Amino acid sequence: MLSHQASTIITIIFYAGSTLLGLWGMLNRKTSWQSAGCWLALAGFIFQTLTLALGFHKSFPSGLSAGAYLQMLAWFLGLSGLIIWLKLKQRTALTFATPFCLTLFAMSIPYMEQVIIIPQSVQSSFYFLHIGALFVSLALLAISFIASAIFLILEHRIKTKRGVKGFLQDLPALAILDKLNGFGIIISFPLYTIGLIVGFLRAAPVYGSTFSGDPKEIVTIIIWLLLAVIFHNRLARSWTGKKPALMMIGIFLLSIFSLLVVNTIMPSHHAFIRP
Amino acid sequence: MDNDKDIFLVGLNHKTAGVDIRERFALTTLCNKEQWAIPCSPNIHENIILSTCNRVEIVACGNQNSKTELLESWASARGSSVDELKPYIYTYTHEEAVRHLFTVASSLDSMVVGEPQILGQIKKAYKMAAAAKKTGPTLNRLLHKAFSVAKRVRTETSVASSAVSISYAAVELAKRIFGDMNAYKAMLIGAGEMAELAAKHLIHAGIQKLYLANRTYAKAESLAHEFNGEAVNFERIPEYLPKSDIVITSTGSTEPIIRAKNLSGVLKARKNKPMFFIDIAVPRDIDPDVNAIDNIYLYDIDDLKEIVEENISNRQDEAQKAKKIIDEEVDVYFNWFQALELQPTIVDLIERNEKLAAAELEYTCKHLNLDDSTKKSLEVMLHSLLNKINHDPLMYLKGENNHISAIERINTIQQVFGLNK
Repeated sequence: MLSHQASTIITIIFYAGSTLLGLWGMLNRKTSWQSAGCWLALAGFIFQTLTLALGFHKSFPSGLSAGAYLQMLAWFLGLSGLIIWLKLKQRTALTFATPFCLTLFAMSIPYMEQVIIIPQSVQSSFYFLHIGALFVSLALLAISFIASAIFLILEHRIKTKRGVKGFLQDLPALAILDKLNGFGIIISFPLYTIGLIVGFLRAAPVYGSTFSGDPKEIVTIIIWLLLAVIFHNRLARSWTGKKPALMMIGIFLLSIFSLLVVNTIMPSHHAFIRP
Repeated sequence: MDNDKDIFLVGLNHKTAGVDIRERFALTTLCNKEQWAIPCSPNIHENIILSTCNRVEIVACGNQNSKTELLESWASARGSSVDELKPYIYTYTHEEAVRHLFTVASSLDSMVVGEPQILGQIKKAYKMAAAAKKTGPTLNRLLHKAFSVAKRVRTETSVASSAVSISYAAVELAKRIFGDMNAYKAMLIGAGEMAELAAKHLIHAGIQKLYLANRTYAKAESLAHEFNGEAVNFERIPEYLPKSDIVITSTGSTEPIIRAKNLSGVLKARKNKPMFFIDIAVPRDIDPDVNAIDNIYLYDIDDLKEIVEENISNRQDEAQKAKKIIDEEVDVYFNWFQALELQPTIVDLIERNEKLAAAELEYTCKHLNLDDSTKKSLEVMLHSLLNKINHDPLMYLKGENNHISAIERINTIQQVFGLNK
């Protein structure tokens, strides 16, 4: 029987192998190596799913470890990359997503035992809808972020006539990257909205009011507003290209700030680390 | 020794002969099953004719002294004489012939380095020769090796990866912007060789629709007929701009026909979908400020020329890498080829010594009246002795650590051991 520890090590090996093969293949323009990296990412994802299944529930339902949160984020990110690879036949998103999956997964290990007790009143399906919707949304934003960053690099080179050379020649066309950006926003915004509404609805009975001025709530609302702007403009005003790409980069960086700084340093009822 | 089994190549190409000479000595219609310009003979065992617009080359396996015979066949097939043909001819033998063939197949000897057609032409030439039964084990192996070398060069170097013509560079850029061309439409404004070539490349890339606008509507109609597109009246261009993702301009206008100020409405009508303008005209047809607009990309003839020049220089750099691959593969082929040459002599030498040993053993057994077990021991001893006796001549024959040619080595062994009696 596969132990949690063995599954963790295998996941790291697969993700590390995928990262090395994928990036090496992409930079050296060896598509077969990059494809092999994608298959390793799939293997890593399967083992990560096993790892989650084996260890996720240890402190459940009374609490969740900080490591489990990071692992979930890595899992959703890996899932999004895999969907784009398998459905849209684009390896690049997965090649870029895998190093993030590896980093998040590796970062999660020391925090697996650090269980955050979830208040009794919050332990309900609403809580998991809140977390699940926001994490899927964040993973899609990560994919959009990757697509946007590549878009801006390529767009700049084409616009300024600097030529598309080396491995950049193998990256997807601008139109495809823009489509990925749009795909990420159009799906992640409704999910983000659901996650947010559920969170606020549950906040009232637990914390006494819907909005308590918690730093996490403030940053999340800012992110939601920015997402709403981009979502509206993409659908209603046909925003394409550079503008949404730049905004998406800002939104994702803010989300990372929210996850890594607000959740760990600032006093918040969303804090991963409790005194 | 099979002294007359060497590989050689004679030919002329765009570097040694002008187009009139290449036309005069072309063998395009004389290399098919029904008619073959170079007959096989006791001196020419196998041959393949490669006749394209840039080169006529004959790769043959046989006695390399039969080159004159080959040239005579070639010249007479074209109703000419060897003296007329000779000034334009280059000849390669043995390793150099193989290296040249690999270089040609890898498109390093082409007028445009890295162009893809040559490999297809060699494949066709080989197919024709095989159908006409002009190939044998040596050339079969050589040509298959040439195909694999060309493939290796293509995959391991970037010798063929970038566009080296202005029209193709424009289409490559369009692919960087739009990806798959099937969902996109293009408009060609004006005419001209380069613009029409770009339109052809776009059609080849799978463009969904091509609009053709010209000041002379009849010309637009004729181009539309040629490209299976839709003719557009010159005055109605603004109406068609929002429908076009790619616009190629090549008019004789002295003033820009598309200005930045006209395009904001066009983009709005297109819901901000990107547009790619390719301005091949001199003076330019499109206001350069157009490139400053978001989601619009403009390349003029100088921008495209710069890309092409850089790509050509990159291809030259990559060609150096490709030459190393070719050198490696020539060695691999020659190891096989030499083994093929050496095989009959190796077999003769071993058989000769085995026969001598067997005769001596029989003689000894007859006179000494030996029992079976002693006979067996003697046989084992003789077998071991033979292996030791054969070792040095075989090593010499295989040419390990010496620089004597295979032909000379074979001759020496045959003379020393009397194998050719």
